[in-house]
Amino acid sequence: MPSPDDLKRLGERIGEAERQRAQRGKPPAPPTSLGIAARFGTELVVAILVGAGLGWGIDWAFGHWLHLQTRPWGMVVMFVLGAAAGIRNVMGAAREINAEMASKEK
Amino acid sequence: MAMNPMEQFEVKPLFQHPLLNIAGHDIYFTNQALFMCVVVAAISLFLTLTVSKNRLVPTRGQSMAELSYEFVANMIHSTMGEDGLAFFPFIFTLFMFVLFCNFFGLVPWTFTVTSQIAVTFALACVVILTMIVTGFMKHGLRFLTLFVPKAPWYLALFLVPIEVISFLTRPISLSVRLFANMLAGHTLLAVFASFVILLGAAGGVLSVLSIAPLLLIVAIFALEMLVAFLQAYVFAILTCIYLNEALHLHDQH
Repeated sequence: MPSPDDLKRLGERIGEAERQRAQRGKPPAPPTSLGIAARFGTELVVAILVGAGLGWGIDWAFGHWLHLQTRPWGMVVMFVLGAAAGIRNVMGAAREINAEMASKEK
Repeated sequence: MAMNPMEQFEVKPLFQHPLLNIAGHDIYFTNQALFMCVVVAAISLFLTLTVSKNRLVPTRGQSMAELSYEFVANMIHSTMGEDGLAFFPFIFTLFMFVLFCNFFGLVPWTFTVTSQIAVTFALACVVILTMIVTGFMKHGLRFLTLFVPKAPWYLALFLVPIEVISFLTRPISLSVRLFANMLAGHTLLAVFASFVILLGAAGGVLSVLSIAPLLLIVAIFALEMLVAFLQAYVFAILTCIYLNEALHLHDQH
């Protein structure tokens, strides 16, 4: 038979464990510098490639279906927009990483 | 002796005869398909066997399974909030699949499924399609305001195409990141392994030097263990972030 004291102590321990569990929140994976660098790199390069690719596709579509010679302007414009999107991506990634680090320091 | 560090990534059919023929295309059972089956079987066995006894005081295996469960649940909770837990099965499956593929690939003589852009891109497409379907189901056409930042109309004119491009880069950057990390790490290991063999075969002082790349392999292998976990984590958390945008459009939960 457990005494009331034992049960009380058990209750306290369960409460303590639950409090610790609630505090944990964020998963403990620190963003390494290598990971951050790789992330920024891919975000920027991929956006530029996608922009340039879309521009190339637009030029092709105009030439093929509408018989309009837009080359190279579609690609030029979309390349610039792609670069802008890449910078936006990097800013977004930086914001996420900052938020993650800030929440860890707390 | 020809040593090609890229040889490990070759997809080869395991049987001479194609498994299926769909619309004139022969579908072969390849080493890639085999290792996907192995990974799925391993995950299923790991998760069912370790929790089948279901003890109050968990065994080592059970606590590993519980740890991975809680890890993903915490990740979803912190990025998407309470209603994100509806996606738990999806994200847990993705995370475990990528994690096990990455770790299985580190075992010598195995094939790294996640080093194939076709596989990672397919996974990323599933994520983005889930995001699009969720967004339209939850918000209807209002989901399209995801592409319209809060700005005066003359700026929005430029910002909308940028947002669209940035959205289109997501499946690509998501898949390229995982694929490139796996490809680079395994190539590096193979290159250093060939140094060991070349130096060892050279004879004399050079043979003694072959210990250096061998030690480096050990170090890189340790790094690859970290990368294998980290990339699975990054894949899962970015999935959470994207799905969160579809669930809660502009507002931060």
